[in-house]
Amino acid sequence: MRDVVIIGGGHNALVTAAFLGKAGLKPLVLERAERVGGCAGTSEVAPGFRCPTLAHSVAIDPAIVRALNLEAHGLQIIRPDSAACAPTRDGPTLVLWSDAERAAQSIAAFSARDAAQYQKFLLSFSRISGVLRALNNAPAPSIDDPTAADLIATLRTGRKFRALGRADAYRLLRWLPMAAADLASEWFESEPLRATVAAGGTLGSFLGPWSAGSAALLLLLGAGEGHPIASGWFARGGPGAVADALAAAARGAGAEIRTCAEIAHVVVTSGTASGVVLSSGEEIGARAVVSGVDPRHTLLGLVDPMHLAPEFVRSVQNIRAHGTLAKINYAVSALPRFARPAGPDAGAVAALSGRIRLSASIDAIERAFDAAKYGGLAEDPWLELTIPSIADPSLAPSGQHVVSAYLQYAPYKLRGTTWDAERDRLGDLATRTITSYAPGFDASVLARQVITPLDLERTYGLTGGHIFHGELSLDQWFVTRPLLGWARYATPIRQLYLCGSGTHPGTGLNGRSGALAARVIAKAFKR
Amino acid sequence: MKPHAIVIGGGHNGLTAAAYLARAGRKVLVLERRHVLGGAAVTEEVFPGFRFSVASYVVSLLRPEIIRDLDLPRHGLEILPLDGTFTPMPNGDHLWRVNDHAMTRREIARHSKLDAEAYEEYGKAMVEMARFVKPILDMTPPDPMTLDPRELMKLVFLGKRFRGLAEADRYNQVQLMTMSAVDFLDQWFETDVLKATMAASGIIGTFLGVRSPGTAYVLLHHYMGEIDGAFRSWGFARGGTGAISNAIASAARELGVEIRTEAPVARIRLQGGRATGVVLANGDELDADLVLSSVDPNLTFLKFMDADQELPAEFVEEIRRYKYRGSSGKVNFALDALPDFTSLPGPGAHLRGAISISPSVDYMERAYDQAKYGEFSRRPYIDMVIPTLTDPSVAPPGKHILSCFVQYAPYKLKSGTWDEQRDAFGDAVVDTIAEHAPNIRDIILHRQVLTPLDIERTFGLTEGNIFQGELTLEQLFFLRPAPGWAQYATPVRGLWMCGSATHPGGGIMGAPGRNAALRILGQTR
Repeated sequence: MRDVVIIGGGHNALVTAAFLGKAGLKPLVLERAERVGGCAGTSEVAPGFRCPTLAHSVAIDPAIVRALNLEAHGLQIIRPDSAACAPTRDGPTLVLWSDAERAAQSIAAFSARDAAQYQKFLLSFSRISGVLRALNNAPAPSIDDPTAADLIATLRTGRKFRALGRADAYRLLRWLPMAAADLASEWFESEPLRATVAAGGTLGSFLGPWSAGSAALLLLLGAGEGHPIASGWFARGGPGAVADALAAAARGAGAEIRTCAEIAHVVVTSGTASGVVLSSGEEIGARAVVSGVDPRHTLLGLVDPMHLAPEFVRSVQNIRAHGTLAKINYAVSALPRFARPAGPDAGAVAALSGRIRLSASIDAIERAFDAAKYGGLAEDPWLELTIPSIADPSLAPSGQHVVSAYLQYAPYKLRGTTWDAERDRLGDLATRTITSYAPGFDASVLARQVITPLDLERTYGLTGGHIFHGELSLDQWFVTRPLLGWARYATPIRQLYLCGSGTHPGTGLNGRSGALAARVIAKAFKR
Repeated sequence: MKPHAIVIGGGHNGLTAAAYLARAGRKVLVLERRHVLGGAAVTEEVFPGFRFSVASYVVSLLRPEIIRDLDLPRHGLEILPLDGTFTPMPNGDHLWRVNDHAMTRREIARHSKLDAEAYEEYGKAMVEMARFVKPILDMTPPDPMTLDPRELMKLVFLGKRFRGLAEADRYNQVQLMTMSAVDFLDQWFETDVLKATMAASGIIGTFLGVRSPGTAYVLLHHYMGEIDGAFRSWGFARGGTGAISNAIASAARELGVEIRTEAPVARIRLQGGRATGVVLANGDELDADLVLSSVDPNLTFLKFMDADQELPAEFVEEIRRYKYRGSSGKVNFALDALPDFTSLPGPGAHLRGAISISPSVDYMERAYDQAKYGEFSRRPYIDMVIPTLTDPSVAPPGKHILSCFVQYAPYKLKSGTWDEQRDAFGDAVVDTIAEHAPNIRDIILHRQVLTPLDIERTFGLTEGNIFQGELTLEQLFFLRPAPGWAQYATPVRGLWMCGSATHPGGGIMGAPGRNAALRILGQTR
């Protein structure tokens, strides 16, 4: 009999394992794939070319980095000089340097007013993020039965909210239900900047920049680092290195990790989870089972629904998770040649060291989303690239690079065709679109890896191909993530817990869900 | 004698506010720009013998308190039932829902047995939600940034009410406030045409699509309509929508309110930072202790005032940011005979309710897609009624009126002007109806096309928004019309807002007018 069995070896599961280990338990992590890490992985797309498999930036909470001593376990954080850049097809490249003043100089080439607004926007955004971080750093409160800790956390958040002052406090309330396009247009007038900001409100989600609620996504994704665009950093060696560091920390804390161990189902005995059965038939008993995989798959796929109330099952079925993101990874023989950076100091290579957002305009992004709504793949998608080999040359042979591309919108549900049939068309579309911004890119491609939304589900276990384990919208956030009344990591099955991105707060590769779940589970064990 | 209060605008909210103030013994003067009262709730004889409800055409949300307090039935208000919604489909089928539960259930079961079951459940859940929301309509929104204990108590009150809901209802409430109408309905139903028709109520008057988050909330409005205590029913006013305004005006006059038409206001007069009256377009200056504006914030603050001189800069910024984005038009037809729908031929009872051109969710969404980029929908969503079947008095004998609410018609066109596109827009409406009722082309005697620009010009609704500003979450409750200014007061002492741009917003509810008056009288919680 184990203390705790953890299903899945994604970053949140590893964080949970490490914290439970530190709390004196002996967790066993069971990962289906050959490696742990889930969305945090590095692939060799061609010999000598190592590219982020799925996520290309990571934002593990600094408190978790410290608590688990990840840097001692090999994590090296790289913060590129550029937060993001937006190449245009017919003009210079807008560069949002990490240094805000330098960024303002580049923005000034498009609009002097925007250059002045940008710094104000960053400040306001960063203050507002503080409130959201406070919400994200404690388990969502119980509505029926708030504990003392809930009240303290609520008061603390309330104080932070008040401390914002009227202008920012009302901004927060107004922004949450807004469209990212409106938010961007309230602040800025130049289209490249508007589009670059608004694009972030659609990442991985079934939202266009004009969809109400996309501003909330922008806020939630940016909250961790308090930056609207650069919500994360790179790890030396690629995101896989983060997984390795987390795994090392978990092992160091006493956790055991088994890979190639696929779960067939969770064993439930009279309403209590008592272990898991692997697809090999092996049964492992445990005092608690924790699932790092998404809530839908956990509760509909791994648990026999007869153990759950029909209304609960219906609610789980209604968790929205329609992925729209595809991933294309390239090995290229040369750095893509985008338009020259706007602004007094050129720094052409460094300008490409952060995110590269290819989106002609807010309307162009919206049009790409239009196609997705009817199950189609738009001819003019928007992409976010990173070229991690600029800041970390170890990822590619000298002078050559890896390019990691998110492409939207690739709707999980295609009409009239399948993703297996469309894989090459998807890859060609990405190449063609990048080439339209960086002439000659197509000729520089040595190898490419195309990951469709269906692959995200089949290979990486993300239900609906949704990178966040379910839409991050106001109805699936905080006290309603994954479900109202079940936002505190427990499930209706006793001793079955959730710890993945589908729980509060989710929002990407930051480990907060895993850490908060560990806190709740460890407390339950003490009782 | 100088009136205590001047009300700018003789729409239903302005009149309601005036009546409530007069009821408390205040002397009130209402100033209306047009020759008729009612604002967008107006009946006009546009063609000889045909009295159109030119803009707003059905009533559902008129607060029962107002009907009671002002004794409107005695002043001529009579609400006639509007039963059911008929949706023709291009495949020759149709969906026809009526108030009779058993009939509707059988009809939905024809499309899906599961949906027929779910429909009952859904109705019950929505009524619960409507009960939850109803008191919120009648309250002055709290200011979440204040430390005033009375304001904080309101927040606690809301929190308590929420906790008092059963778990499933809480969830519904959260979802209603945040989801898209289609996502919300997807959880209950599988029949596309049913979802499309129900979702349509979520987009009316907003520049959003049925798949846009935030549209689910308005689904509730359908269940909040209370006429004579009957939850959920919709109706016509006998004599057209203007009859509602006239009844309120009659009640107001009886209470001593003076009402002047053709008295357009040019400026709100300030002295020492306080509103002291108005200046009319003809130069007349009128004094009052208070000025209430029932027109939208754009007119109130940016047209009738020197915003940069007379108002705080932050407030002006909020008022400039407030979104209108009119997205609908209105086309009224005088008909020689009844339209004949191929999917349910003949002059049956299905023509007596609403007729909804909303055959599928994709149809609705595509109509929105076109509008996003600045074109009117070639195949729009149309909500039609034929009031003459219920109230023959509004047309010559044997003739009919077809009143069509049409969406989307974006105020800002990508190319051309609305004056150039008016006829093309009217034609698109005829073409769309003709796909379902081909005889329409042969029976039109007259047609009146109101584009968003016409709505702006005629009714003074900025950008043609029928609700005086979009009903989106960031412009509701304590954010309507501006954060910190949702309690009917303005930064100018003595100047108050009482129109649809204030909580709880548009529709012929009268709640903004009533709430504002009660607030001024110090009679609200």
